[in-house]
This record gives sequence, structure tokens and C-alpha cells, in this order.
Amino acid sequence: MTTWESVQEFLSEPTTWSGPDSIWARLGEHIWVSVAAVIIAGILVLPLAVWLGHIRHGSGIATALVNIGRAVPSFGILAIAFLVLVQMGAGVGEPWAVLVALVALAAPPMFTNTVAGIQAVQPATIESARGMGLTEREVLTGVELPLSAPLMMEGLRIAFVQVIATATLGALVAWGGLGRYIVDGFAQQDMGKLIVGAVLVGLLAIAAELGLSAMQRATTPRGMRPAR
Amino acid sequence: MRKPFRARAVGAILGLALVATACGSGDGADEGTPPEGDPIRVASFNFNESVIVAEIYAQGLEANGYPVERQLNLGNREVVKPALEEGEIDLIPEYTGTVAGFLGAEASADSDATWEAASAAWEDMGITLLAYSPAQDKNAYVVTGETAEEFSLTTVSDLQSVAGEMIFGGPPECPERPLCLQGLQDVYGLEFAEFVPLDVGGPITVAALEGGEIDVGLLFTTSGVIAANEWVSLEDDMGLNPAENIVPAIRTEVVEAYGDDLVALLDSYSEALTTEDLTAMNARADLDQEDPALIAEEWLTTNGFFE
Repeated sequence: MTTWESVQEFLSEPTTWSGPDSIWARLGEHIWVSVAAVIIAGILVLPLAVWLGHIRHGSGIATALVNIGRAVPSFGILAIAFLVLVQMGAGVGEPWAVLVALVALAAPPMFTNTVAGIQAVQPATIESARGMGLTEREVLTGVELPLSAPLMMEGLRIAFVQVIATATLGALVAWGGLGRYIVDGFAQQDMGKLIVGAVLVGLLAIAAELGLSAMQRATTPRGMRPAR
Repeated sequence: MRKPFRARAVGAILGLALVATACGSGDGADEGTPPEGDPIRVASFNFNESVIVAEIYAQGLEANGYPVERQLNLGNREVVKPALEEGEIDLIPEYTGTVAGFLGAEASADSDATWEAASAAWEDMGITLLAYSPAQDKNAYVVTGETAEEFSLTTVSDLQSVAGEMIFGGPPECPERPLCLQGLQDVYGLEFAEFVPLDVGGPITVAALEGGEIDVGLLFTTSGVIAANEWVSLEDDMGLNPAENIVPAIRTEVVEAYGDDLVALLDSYSEALTTEDLTAMNARADLDQEDPALIAEEWLTTNGFFE
């Protein structure tokens, strides 16, 4: 059977299109866990990052954090989180271990880009805002945050695309998502299933990249947009 | 420039040590020259029992002077079988019934017949099955003590009335395997409510059975965890599982290159290995997290192969 035939065979099976192992179910699991991981990471790190950016401290912490984030393997975090959480009473097949690993993956780029984005605002701009009588809060919300929005959105985009690609690892600890097709396809030597899984993850990552790039452009203040 | 004395002394001691180790590795060998040739690449499947038995082969061969390379924990049979046939690996502990099924040969409860069928089927691909061991390890369909009591389950047939509401957990390849979901459906008519892909009788399957995420789990009859948790391995009353004797599967060209001494050595390990040994060794690896290499070494010592 050629590779293309095995893809066609997988796509023609009824279980591919309905039920708990269908593309829709796996896609849904994959998306909600990825979105949840990025939102949780944002809640955890953005307040601190915004504050550090505003007081113009912590670029050293930001660099260190992103470097650690790059060095720690997500699969290691996932395996440890799985064992610890199961001992604490979490069920096999529940998404908590995957969420832990993905939050740890998403947090560094979001933190770093936020700190860097706010610190990149020209001191002269902030001085004139203060000179106009804006309070510190107004300086933050009215000047620093809008001007750093493009960089913050870029951190979100980087984090989200990485999270989508990495959520596939969840299938190795009995969770679902699109990684299920890759892990099961490999174990069953089912090329069709494996390829469909890998392509779907790739498409999802590209869609996220395009969608968030558009959002990044939309949130850029008009004065900062490149001239057409 | 003259080297200082100390450096030369260290060099000399290192040199001596190397010679000593080289001699030491030939310890268990018979008299005569150590066998020469390409390294024998010993592989195993991705579960502890296979790693332990492969370690027994590897350490035994090493002690008798054979050059050995280890490729342990390689993967499931879908990965290992092509690797063996294409010459990426040379030797692996196989299971007669499962491999017979994989080769499209007749597997039955009869150990001899199953071995013969598998041997004949694999011969043409350049793979030799050596003599099989009395030690067997079959797929076990396991429920917790509570589940067994609640539905009064002792045999796999007893699942027929309740399977429709039960969740079955096993390795990801299970739905495609004749001795797993396929066989449970064909032989017993069992249609489970759901299948959950886990691991190969490892910690994830055990945790899922413990936590109640699955009702029936695929483990092995030699799993140490079954007795330790007072779980029930359901009796295969309709004979789905064939004989599953452990047998060294080896590339024929390696047998030809090293000859009868190699065969006799591996045969001696197969002869000594028992099902009880497997169960005890699995418990140590699975429950007490002991190193498979140390467990194998101890087995070789206890059985008189090592001093």
C-alpha cells in the first residue's frame, strides 16, 4: 500500500469523522488545551512582566527566564508532572500534566516580550506624558501598553505556535489531542494516520500564526504602523 | 622533552589496568581463543521483561568474549521486526505465539507446534528461532479486585454481559492486534464501550487501572503488579492466547558466523529461565524500580552462569 493510499484509507474510515477519536474531537481537544495553556501563562506572568517593564527593571530576569525556558525540555516537564499529578490523585487521560508542561513553555516568551516591549518605549515619550499631568496608571495604560502591544502580541504568537506543536506530546502520557494520531499511527505502523496527524498539527500552527499576525497588526497603534 | 616521572607512572598503571580489564572480560569463557567477528547487536522491546531477558543474553555473551552492542528498549514489534529482518539488529527475545501470529503462521496452545510454525515462517527471511524456553508470558486481561467482585468475573467470557459498559485500556497498537482487541472481539465477541490507548503494560496502564479510568487493562501474565495489587487476571477460557514461550530470535548469518558455541550458550539461558523467574524479576523492575541490568546479572549469578 502506498503512502497516499494509506492516507486515503484513514480518511475514508467512519471513525475518522465521528466519535471520540475523530478529527473534530482531537482538533477540539488540541485547541482548547493550547488556548487554556496560553491564557493561564498570561495570567501567571503578565502582571509581573508589566510591573517590571514599567519600573524599568528586570531585563536581566527576562533574559535569564527565556534562556531557561529554552533549555528545559517540555517532554521532561510533562513526564514529571504526569507522575507527580497521578500520585496526587489526578486521573490518567486528564489534561493537567499537559497543561503544566505547556504553561511552562508559553510563559517565557510572553514574559520576556512584555518586559522588553514596555522598556522599548522611548523615555522622552513617557516624560512628556508625565509632563502633561498623566498619573502613573495613565502612563501605563495610555502610553506604555499601547506602544508595547506589537511586541507583546509577538510573544503571544511565538508562545501559541510552540504550544500547538508541543501539545502533541500529550499523547505519550495517555492524553488526547492531535498527537494521538501521531503516537497511535507510529505504534500501529499506520502511515495514513501518522501523516494526517502531523499535517493537521502543521496546519493548525500555520493558522494560529496567520491569525495572531493579523491581530498583531490590528493592535499596533496607527502611528506605529509602517507606511504603505 | 622528558615527561615527569609521575606522568609516566600514571600512564603505565593505566596501561596495565587496560590489559587487566581486557583479560577480565574473558573470565567466564571456555578455554581457547575468544570468538571474533562483528559485534552482536542485542535488542529488546519497550517493556522491562524484554529488557531484562535481552540483558541476560548480552551480559552472558560478553562474559564469554563475544563482542556485543545493546539496542535495548527499541520499540514495539512493529518497529523491531523490520529492524531484525533488515539487519539493523541481530538478536532479540521473542514470544513464540505473538511472532507466529505476526508472520501469518498458525499459533496454538501447543508450544512445539507454535515454535515450528514460527520458525518455518521466519526462516526464509534470514531469521533463526533458537530453542524456546519453558518460560512463558502471555497477554493478561486484568481487572481490579473490586471490579471482579462486583461483576463476579473470573474468566474472559464473564466479560460478555458487561463489556458494553466497560472501558478497555492497552498499548496504542492494541486495536490492530489479533491477541488484543481484535481477538477479544472475534473469539469472545467482546465489544467494549471505549478503548483508551495507554502504554505496553507499563506505569500508565497500571495507574489507569488503579485510578479507575479503565475497567479492564492489558498487562502480562508475568506482571508483578497483578499480585501486588490483588488484581484479577481473567482466565483465557476460550484459548485466545497461544503458547508464548520466550525464544531468542537471531539473524541466521550471525548463527553461521559464530557457530554452535553461540547457540549452545543461548540455549543454556533459555533452558534455565522459568515463568516464575520472569514474574519475580518483573516485580523487582516494575515495583521496586531496580535496574534491569543488575537484575539480569543476579539471575546469571544465581543460576551458576557467573561466579
